[in-house]
Amino acid sequence: MEINSESHSQHISRQFNQELEELKTHLMAMGGLVEKQVQDAITALLENDSKLATKVRDNDREVNDLHLQIDEECTRILARRQPAASDLRLVLAVIRASSDLERIGDEASKIARNAISLTESNNVIRGLVEVRHISEHVRKMLRDALTSFARFDLELAIEVVREDELVDDEYGSAMRSLITFMAEDARSISSVLSVMWILRALERVGDHADNLAEHVVYLVKGLDIRHSDPDTLEATVLDRDKS
Amino acid sequence: MTRIWPWLCAASVALSLFMLGLLLALLLTRGLGHFWPSTLEVATLDSGELIAGEAVRETALPQRDGKERLYFTANRDIDGARWRWVAIDSIASRQTPTKLLRLQRGPWGDFIGYLSAYEDGQQRLEGEAAWQALATALAAPANTRPPATLVLETADGQLIRQALADIHRAQRPNAMHPGEKLRYWAHGVWQFLSEGPRAANTGGGVWPAIFGTVLMVIVMSVIVMPFGVLAAIYLNEIAHQGRLTRLVRIGVRNLAGVPSIVYGVFGLGVFVYGIGSSVDQWFFEDTLPSPTFGTGGLLWASLTLALLTLPVVIVATEEGLARIPDSQREGAVALGATRLETLTRIVLPMAMPAMLTAVILAVARAAGEVAPLMLVGVAKLAPQMPLDGDFPYLHLERKFMHLGYHLFDTAFHGDDVQAAIPLVYATALLLVTIVLVLNLTAIFLRHYLRRQRGQPC
Amino acid sequence: MLASNQGHNNMPHQDQSCLSIDAFSLAYAGKQALHELTLEIPRHRVTAFIGPSGCGKSTLLRAINRLHDLNDETSHQGRIMVEGIDIHSPDIDVSELRRRIGMVFQTPNPFPMSIYENVAFGLRLQGRTAKRKRDDIIEWALTSAALWDEVKDRLHQSAWQLSGGQQQRLVIARTLAVQPEILLLDEPASALDPVSTLKIEELICNLKSQLTLVLVTHNMQQAARVSDFTAFLSQGELIEYGPTDQLFTNPRLRHTENYITGRIN
Repeated sequence: MEINSESHSQHISRQFNQELEELKTHLMAMGGLVEKQVQDAITALLENDSKLATKVRDNDREVNDLHLQIDEECTRILARRQPAASDLRLVLAVIRASSDLERIGDEASKIARNAISLTESNNVIRGLVEVRHISEHVRKMLRDALTSFARFDLELAIEVVREDELVDDEYGSAMRSLITFMAEDARSISSVLSVMWILRALERVGDHADNLAEHVVYLVKGLDIRHSDPDTLEATVLDRDKS
Repeated sequence: MTRIWPWLCAASVALSLFMLGLLLALLLTRGLGHFWPSTLEVATLDSGELIAGEAVRETALPQRDGKERLYFTANRDIDGARWRWVAIDSIASRQTPTKLLRLQRGPWGDFIGYLSAYEDGQQRLEGEAAWQALATALAAPANTRPPATLVLETADGQLIRQALADIHRAQRPNAMHPGEKLRYWAHGVWQFLSEGPRAANTGGGVWPAIFGTVLMVIVMSVIVMPFGVLAAIYLNEIAHQGRLTRLVRIGVRNLAGVPSIVYGVFGLGVFVYGIGSSVDQWFFEDTLPSPTFGTGGLLWASLTLALLTLPVVIVATEEGLARIPDSQREGAVALGATRLETLTRIVLPMAMPAMLTAVILAVARAAGEVAPLMLVGVAKLAPQMPLDGDFPYLHLERKFMHLGYHLFDTAFHGDDVQAAIPLVYATALLLVTIVLVLNLTAIFLRHYLRRQRGQPC
Repeated sequence: MLASNQGHNNMPHQDQSCLSIDAFSLAYAGKQALHELTLEIPRHRVTAFIGPSGCGKSTLLRAINRLHDLNDETSHQGRIMVEGIDIHSPDIDVSELRRRIGMVFQTPNPFPMSIYENVAFGLRLQGRTAKRKRDDIIEWALTSAALWDEVKDRLHQSAWQLSGGQQQRLVIARTLAVQPEILLLDEPASALDPVSTLKIEELICNLKSQLTLVLVTHNMQQAARVSDFTAFLSQGELIEYGPTDQLFTNPRLRHTENYITGRIN
């Protein structure tokens, strides 16, 4: 059965409603923080702002704390409430999503660290165009994934899954052009390698955003689409929408 | 306000217990005291008259100050009365001579006086020898006693002759020490329990009445239990629970409230005159017009009382059946037991304590019932026991004696009500004891059954 | 992977069905208690009936054992088939049917006799059995009900001295002794403490290899723990029936979802 974002506030136990609501709020707070981390890391890189990059690196601890807190809440709900059906799926989705968000946070701090080393090298940085392009995509994916989680929006989630394929393609072509840069100018190898790490991190962020979207599908429809073929996905998820 | 309630409740319980205790104490002292050989005394009045007898009680004089004392003086054949009121201030002196004698005699009741001589045709004994001879003669069984005559002297010197054959017991209570008195008392109680009545129920024992009561109760139980239990099973287990069963239940409960004499009338009309007469016409035509079953008897009395106690049995059994949880029946049914198997293997064994309770209640009710029995078969004096050695051993058509009726008869139909009062108490005590014993038996049986099954008692 | 979430494909197939309920309706005193229920109960599996109080789950269970016969105000339509035979057909021996379909009730109801006699009760109903054979069956039944070790030294003591959980296992042993094909359990653990409850649940899982079990329970966690299939009933109607795994993670209908997760309906 498909559920909507109101589903988790209709329990006979108000306490339970509140616990689930808090869980969602905390996840969204974590999502917002992580989203900002990614954005700040990219901004720091593009604008050569090492102070901002340092802040991003340091803020990762906050993300980790939130991750631990959410995990603990989930454990408590599982132990005390023994949730079933959509409640169970919500808790599982939150556990998985928080772990994905934590990884995204890690990727953001990785980008920040590379941005710091790039600003310190004082070389001309090649490949920032690709970075900006992919980062916009990835940030949109992350934003959409979080929105779909907040709204239980299946269509948005599927859009995120599809976007990930685009990002992967773009990542491939960006890599190829960066390899060309390296071949052209051997002195730039170290800075281009840093940019490659950053691209790699962004691609990973995209993958995690894709996972988030998959958790949304699991949460809303009870379908586990993690390892299924993306082409048939829309048919499976949205066809059953109509039934 | 709230504190007063527990006190009120406790007080009412205490009062009830106190009254109950009083009842038992009264029955015990008056009933058992009757057999105690009390001290006899000789009172010398101011006028010089001598009165020998037992001091019974004292009351205030009606006209002037002072008290008067009631003496049981016996000797009705001589004085024409057995009791004498004497004003205490008119008594000059009181003695308790050890030779003073009390005889329990057949026709005239007790004698109090002195033994002057013992004549058995061959010899005449006087003084202590006469008493020895009398005691020896009375120790022998009644049919082996010699044809002797006693010469008795009253306290004021009149002499009378008394045949030994009419004498049941002789005592000199003033000469007895407590051990002897106790032995004499126990013997008296035993005689009361084991002998037949004498002198129109004013003396002697009550054995036929005990026997009749118990036998009647047993016959009644045998009749009422199957009917009552079957009716309860039908009402509770088989019948469709609807308006009709509810009506029947109300009917049955109300039957329990019908005055017992009404049952007696019913028994007389239906059993004795209706069925009994017909039975006589069909089977005992040769003895007519003297009725066999056409008059009151053990069978009709038992049937009437069975009818009387039937509601009690039905209600008690049904309550027991209703207390068995349905899960027990369903458990048996779910194992493949049929309705009959469930009933016989689970329900009835579990209802056994309730059925025993029903017996207790029925017995208690029946043993104490007098009014209906007077119409359907109880006798003031039954010449033959309803159970004896003659074929067919149990004579259901015979009249029988009943303790309750005996009590009534002794109390109101004797020629000397004063003398009968102790006997009334003794009989009442006995009746209570019998009901108690029957009840205790059933209670222990019920307790045992429950214990056997591990049920909480 | 997707397929595992599609309840329809996992439903017991007709061939595996031991008990088949076909458009069965039951009315009690003119009031409709069950409305045209249709479901197949698979052999050697535990099927749980869940639903709010008065939803008819116990009624359905009792109907399978024809316990509603005890009340003459009931009437029914439709069929209940046990191994292909209609239990309401006139030539069925009801006692024999009830022997084949054992039933355990909410409150433990051992009979007021010894432990041994309790287990022997069903055997004695069937007629005489040689004592040695009877002893063997009783030992087997008590062992199957995981009670033998606890009572083997006091077989001839009153069954009422056992604890609640032991009594319930004794009742199960008593039922097993007549070797039923189906065991109906009507909230068998609702009157028991948690440890006894777990013992009963463990027993239910172990018995699966021997017979088909149908369990009515108020306790949804219990249904989730022990059953293979779960039927959700509400107001005398079958709302949803499917594999327990599916019903408790992703029920198909909102009604079921709301009940399972404790939502206001």
